[in-house]
Amino acid sequence: MKPFELIKVTNTKTALSHKKEQVQYIAGGTNLVDLMKKNIHLPDTLLDINDALIRHIDKKDNRIFIGAMVRNTEIATDKTVLKELPLLSKAVLAGASPQIRNMASTGGNILQRTRCPYFYDITTSCNKRIPGSGCSAYEGENRMSAVIGYSKDCVAVHPSDLCVAFVALDAQVHVIDTDHKKSIIPFQDFHRLPGNDPHLDNNLPEHALISFIEIPENPFARNCAYIKIRDRASYAFALVSVAAALHMQGDRIIDARLASGGVAHKPWRWLEAEEFLRGKNVSDLVFSQAADIIVGDLHPLAHNGFKSNMLKGAVETALAQCLVV
Amino acid sequence: MKKNTNFSRRFFLKTTGAFTLLASIPAVLKATYIQVKEFIVPSKRIVPLTVSVNKKAYQLDSDTRTTLLDLLRENLDLTGTKKGCDHGQCGACTVHVDGERVLSCLTLSAMLVGKEVTTIEGIADGDHLHPMQEAFISCDGFQCGYCTPGQIMSAIACVKEGHTHSVEDIKEYMSGNLCRCGAYNGIVESIQKVAAS
Amino acid sequence: MRYFEQQHQPPREGRVEALDKVTGKGKYAAEYKLDGMCYAVLIGSTIASGKIKNMDLTKAKQVKSVIGFVSHLQKPEVPGFASEAMIKASRFGLPIFHTDTIYFKGQPIILVIAETLEDATYAASLVEVEYETAPFNVDFESSYGAVPMKEAGKERGKLDAWSDAAVVVQEEYNIKPEVHHPMEMHATIAQWTSEDHLMLYDKTQGVNNVQQVIAPLFNLKKEHIEVMSEFVGGGFGSGLRVWPHVLAAIMGAKQVKRPVKLMLTRPQMFIGTGYRPASWQRIKLGADLSGKFLGIHHQAKNETSLYERFSDQITRVTRLIYNFDHLKTEDALVPLNINAATWMRGPGDCTGDFAIECAIDELSYKLKMDPLDVRSKNIAATHHPDNKLPWSSNYLLDCMTEGAKRIGWKNRNAAPNAMREGDWHVGYGMSVGMWNAGRNKTSAAIKMMSNGQIIVQTAMTDIGTGTGTGMKNIAHELTGIPRNKITIELGNSNLPPAPSQGGSTGMSSVSGAVVDAVNLLKLKLAEYAAVTNLKFKDAPEESIVLSETGISLAHEPTVKVSYSDLWKTNKLDTVVVEATSAPGEERKKYAFCSSAAHFCQVRVNIKTGKVKIDKLICVADGGKIVNEKAAANQMSGAAVGGIGMALMEERRFDHRFGGLIGDDLAGYHFPVNADAPIIDVSFIGKPDPHINPTGAKGLGEVGIIGTAAAIANAIYHATGKRLRDLPITADQILS
Repeated sequence: MKPFELIKVTNTKTALSHKKEQVQYIAGGTNLVDLMKKNIHLPDTLLDINDALIRHIDKKDNRIFIGAMVRNTEIATDKTVLKELPLLSKAVLAGASPQIRNMASTGGNILQRTRCPYFYDITTSCNKRIPGSGCSAYEGENRMSAVIGYSKDCVAVHPSDLCVAFVALDAQVHVIDTDHKKSIIPFQDFHRLPGNDPHLDNNLPEHALISFIEIPENPFARNCAYIKIRDRASYAFALVSVAAALHMQGDRIIDARLASGGVAHKPWRWLEAEEFLRGKNVSDLVFSQAADIIVGDLHPLAHNGFKSNMLKGAVETALAQCLVV
Repeated sequence: MKKNTNFSRRFFLKTTGAFTLLASIPAVLKATYIQVKEFIVPSKRIVPLTVSVNKKAYQLDSDTRTTLLDLLRENLDLTGTKKGCDHGQCGACTVHVDGERVLSCLTLSAMLVGKEVTTIEGIADGDHLHPMQEAFISCDGFQCGYCTPGQIMSAIACVKEGHTHSVEDIKEYMSGNLCRCGAYNGIVESIQKVAAS
Repeated sequence: MRYFEQQHQPPREGRVEALDKVTGKGKYAAEYKLDGMCYAVLIGSTIASGKIKNMDLTKAKQVKSVIGFVSHLQKPEVPGFASEAMIKASRFGLPIFHTDTIYFKGQPIILVIAETLEDATYAASLVEVEYETAPFNVDFESSYGAVPMKEAGKERGKLDAWSDAAVVVQEEYNIKPEVHHPMEMHATIAQWTSEDHLMLYDKTQGVNNVQQVIAPLFNLKKEHIEVMSEFVGGGFGSGLRVWPHVLAAIMGAKQVKRPVKLMLTRPQMFIGTGYRPASWQRIKLGADLSGKFLGIHHQAKNETSLYERFSDQITRVTRLIYNFDHLKTEDALVPLNINAATWMRGPGDCTGDFAIECAIDELSYKLKMDPLDVRSKNIAATHHPDNKLPWSSNYLLDCMTEGAKRIGWKNRNAAPNAMREGDWHVGYGMSVGMWNAGRNKTSAAIKMMSNGQIIVQTAMTDIGTGTGTGMKNIAHELTGIPRNKITIELGNSNLPPAPSQGGSTGMSSVSGAVVDAVNLLKLKLAEYAAVTNLKFKDAPEESIVLSETGISLAHEPTVKVSYSDLWKTNKLDTVVVEATSAPGEERKKYAFCSSAAHFCQVRVNIKTGKVKIDKLICVADGGKIVNEKAAANQMSGAAVGGIGMALMEERRFDHRFGGLIGDDLAGYHFPVNADAPIIDVSFIGKPDPHINPTGAKGLGEVGIIGTAAAIANAIYHATGKRLRDLPITADQILS
């Protein structure tokens, strides 16, 4: 690890005043410390923002606000979340390990970097690490890589489970930039597609802070599911994951949400399949047709063709599980 | 039989070429990558640190880079906490910070001011072992013993968190602690035993 | 008061070293604190083939606490590596720091030593190396085809004698390389205590082996190297060799004239301490309509490094379990730009057994016979099929019967792809495994004090197998001395010599030495007792009875001399005996094996490709079980390893760069707790009459050998899909 200075800040104003180039914020450290040990991030200064930002979950006007410093475990076990946003809890519990969930912050979860093995291996080229160096995964070992929305410059996937639930529930990211201006970024627009500049994971302005996540009131608490397929039963990143949520009236689907992890550079919403499901009566056939719509959009790489079948199965399973109450 | 490929050489040319592109990327990323090219080797930052481990206050000068795991093992001679990967992928370094199980390999010591760290050396009450330690002995919840301190710290938390309703429950909530000897039978049994008592 | 307390606090059950392990007090290799100790970090090459042209240390030297470097350009003298010929003759493998040639990516090329671990690690990241690259190849799959076969062992019968067999299975099997990954990363602390004395705290499975390998390299007397390995955080074979990093630490300590600690990183564990090599196999198996095997042709190839050839001897197991009148085995090595492979739990047999047991399963479906019956018909139950010696004991058939009973084998629907619970398909599978039960020359000593306390010693390590506990149990059983008066000392080269802990030979070897040492102790104590009571004079060992308090005679229990009297009369301090025990004539008369049968029930989700193992049953014949709990732990742990082999473990390469990808524990998956069911282990438990004085055979290997095949066979039964390549990941299920 490169030597660095560690400064604890207790408010956002101080945090945002450190506009030096090589400053990075640290909260739980579960991703950043790892990246620093791997010489992928080489900050001169770390700003410990744990005491500068909110660490509780609030409900106001039927909207739920999750502070950026709320730990993953706290989301998973929060009574309001369990009652009104169980999909969040399910997604969180599908990720990482209890220890990491105790450490990892909500803001950090959103800002965590890809786990693409080439990104982690500094002896290979990676456009995320060194822009313009080339993508080793595109024609390399891309079993874990994206199947949609990628470019030749980057086929990495976003590793978060929580974010898949956030995007499914139309969350919003509250941001404070260095001019202390507050703004809101819809979750769906928060993360970027790689395009020609894959070194940018998201649209957060430089040095800006995520203050909290807002989730609007929704009717999905009753019928929701999170399915994650991975190489072992637990403590592994997704090959594919599916967050599914249905708003039911009898057998009829009033509204549907479908999102996936492990498929793209950002948590991916399946809007077309959602549209297809609206107004339909539930049946295996309808679920299978929705899954087909999704799979029809995929463009697998050399080693991840299996993700089509797997995603189809995961979507069908997740939708079916939404009905198991 | 050997394949002839020039990829390596090409790659290094490309990597070198990449630095000329730095001008076009945002400052924060440039900052990250430009280090590779620059010759300034920064000096380490040593800060005074007061940290409480097993209810004992330690005062020492510490490198900001020192993780809690290395602090325990290399500086405080508390080697019960184990290094199994150093990257948050095995759970061998599990300790409690303010009563919650966390990974000491991803925790920077300098961020622990005001917090209470508990390690495997701190859970027994004098000569009286913690019930989880007793259970690991009687249920043979280990073989080589290297992941054991992490397993025990995690197991204590698992019981406290209430994830002991079924074998599946225990197994899921203990899956952040790898055991290559595969002593999972005994680990589950130990937790069941403590949860039942 | 003390006595009262003991009455109310019964001694803890559990292993001898249990307290040290659950309190964190036990010291593993990297955990010793020495005066003046500094930290070393190894740097590996970033290319897979070529030459080192230049090393630029300018930046690294700017890190203030850096003390020194070791590389081929700056190094202390290693007399045993003085010339190319000597390097070769040393059989050390990789000539670390003695060549500018790069054989594989990650090959250690320079050691950086600094005052702190943080500084050493950072300085290591600043070393700049220039290379001249050369072509390389790490692609096993596209390379094995070109390598010709050679005979592996003597052919039995004739290959074409069964060309008209009624039923034939001919298939190919591919297994990806697996890495041992003991939880403790390999580490060495090296300290030169004088010019010609070396102290090593090392993670190894054999302290005497380390002495033997290192001594000639530095022209040292073996006994001038003390190797301490009291606690070893797992091995599975990775600790059977002395790897380059051990030499690196020793050279580093010599270079900076201070003790040096070197712990490998987890990525370095992928390339620094061996692995189970990738393999390709072809099996042709023929049987008549009754299910009687006619012949087998087993071909196998495994990858190996360029600087050292390692054959995993994959076809060996084919000569062990079943009777084949006609047998031909062939193998070949496929050299690549990779690091050296080595033995990994159930070496060779694990790989070969997977292919054979899957082929037999396939054959049984072709025959429409129960896979159990096909095996029963062909198992060589009485004699070793190759050397024709009678088995000293072989209860494999009993293992199968018991396993079938435990899982409810006969209640299953025998047809494949027939049992469903929604999207989950249920299947049953089984297989068997066997291992040559070996035994090696081993010494053990007993030290006895006047209060009746004894210390039992051996240099053998305990890598988690329960060796120490087994020794204690044997000593207790034979002497009657209570367990809390028996201390075990092991894992140090100053103790009586012992072979490495490996190949399931540990307990089999050391148990004989402990028995012999106890017998010597009896004779010696009887000699001293004869001073006060002549009845003890020349008493044969079988008539001498020891107890907590004294010595007596079997036929005259009233004739007793207390230890305190005996010590007083003879003015004794500590009585010491040492015995060496080795295999003998019995090896010429009998063949020896351990065996096991694995049964499992899986559920396979046909939509998502998930595989869940609901039940895994393992019944083993390991002779007498010296320590039931530890033995069962060994078996279930090995089965967990088998789950990893079957479903997830794979060391992956990028063939373009010649390096590994995903070389950490997030990229290389082995089973977590949730991957394994509660594994049901049982033992036949009958002592082998000839193997050694206790009748204990080994267990470490047979626990894993058949596991992967049982799982693959169950997946076939569940889905109708025959998958012959490991690991069987979800993508294979869905393909």
